[in-house]
Amino acid sequence: MISKEFLYGIKRAVPVILGFVPVGIAYAIMARQAGLTAFETVFMSLSVFAGASQIMAVGMYAQGAGLIAMIIATFIINLRHVIMSACVFNKIKGEKTGLRLLAAFGVTDEGFAIFTTEKEEKCSAMYMVGILLVTYLSWFAGSVIGAVASSLLPKIIAASLGIAMYAMFIGLLVPGIRRNLRLGFLVAMTACANSAFGMFLEPSWSLVVSTLLGAAAGVFFVDLKEQGDESEA
Amino acid sequence: MKVRLRIFLLIMGMTLVTYIPRALPAIMVGRLKFSPKAEKFLRLIPYTAMSALIFPGVFTMDPDRVYVGILGAAAAAALAWRKMPVMVCVLGAIAVDLIVYLVV
Repeated sequence: MISKEFLYGIKRAVPVILGFVPVGIAYAIMARQAGLTAFETVFMSLSVFAGASQIMAVGMYAQGAGLIAMIIATFIINLRHVIMSACVFNKIKGEKTGLRLLAAFGVTDEGFAIFTTEKEEKCSAMYMVGILLVTYLSWFAGSVIGAVASSLLPKIIAASLGIAMYAMFIGLLVPGIRRNLRLGFLVAMTACANSAFGMFLEPSWSLVVSTLLGAAAGVFFVDLKEQGDESEA
Repeated sequence: MKVRLRIFLLIMGMTLVTYIPRALPAIMVGRLKFSPKAEKFLRLIPYTAMSALIFPGVFTMDPDRVYVGILGAAAAAALAWRKMPVMVCVLGAIAVDLIVYLVV
């Protein structure tokens, strides 16, 4: 049952632990501050398994967003995984549907990056399942640590942690736009649009509308050819 | 170990909309093709979404002190511009805001 490919997937995914655990901690602390219980916080990580979406959702929850708006926003952010998953399953031929569906759960941005940078002949469903095991456990561990630790934090540190979500998104955005002026312009345009829509829409709906309109407008003038797939949201 | 109904529904809804885009290509082997425009649209979404998540929310991170969000964001942007890893940007921004709270 334990195949060579499975073990190789585990080995390749080990460096990602360093990324997943701290972000999991940050997510859990934000979730607890937003008002989720420790159990709810960890339950969300186990069930959803998508870093940026979870961080966004608890951020919206803290601002009192509606259920439907939070789920739609999550859907929009995760749409890009269709492309990543299509790349992954172009390389996995054959295999049983059940195993493919399990491997599909591992298509996070990081899992995708590890998988697709591998030589074609080494890519298999079990390889992806190995990656899934390591990334999933790291995400779980980070969430547990953060959920427990958050109640021990002094007030002033808890207040400062409010910047963590914004800083994470800035850290992901800036590398993409510093080499691509048009993409930078699109990002600025979207920021303005969201601020404008926010005057007459609820913030969560304003977010959904400006994200979709921004991406639609960008199709006509942004060039993504030189952009590696480095979005880790 | 109780989960409130509203949170449970949120988590279930998020689980569905996260898993479906990942699982669809696993079932529709090779039958899922995107036009270049559709692919570009999907690839642009993370950028526009993150932009909308940052602005204007970062200004009201601390509703009483606008500068807390601005200074923290500036620190993160400066670190990201110097090609620092995301985790360093996050820790740097937290450190700057911690100092702001200690000083003010």
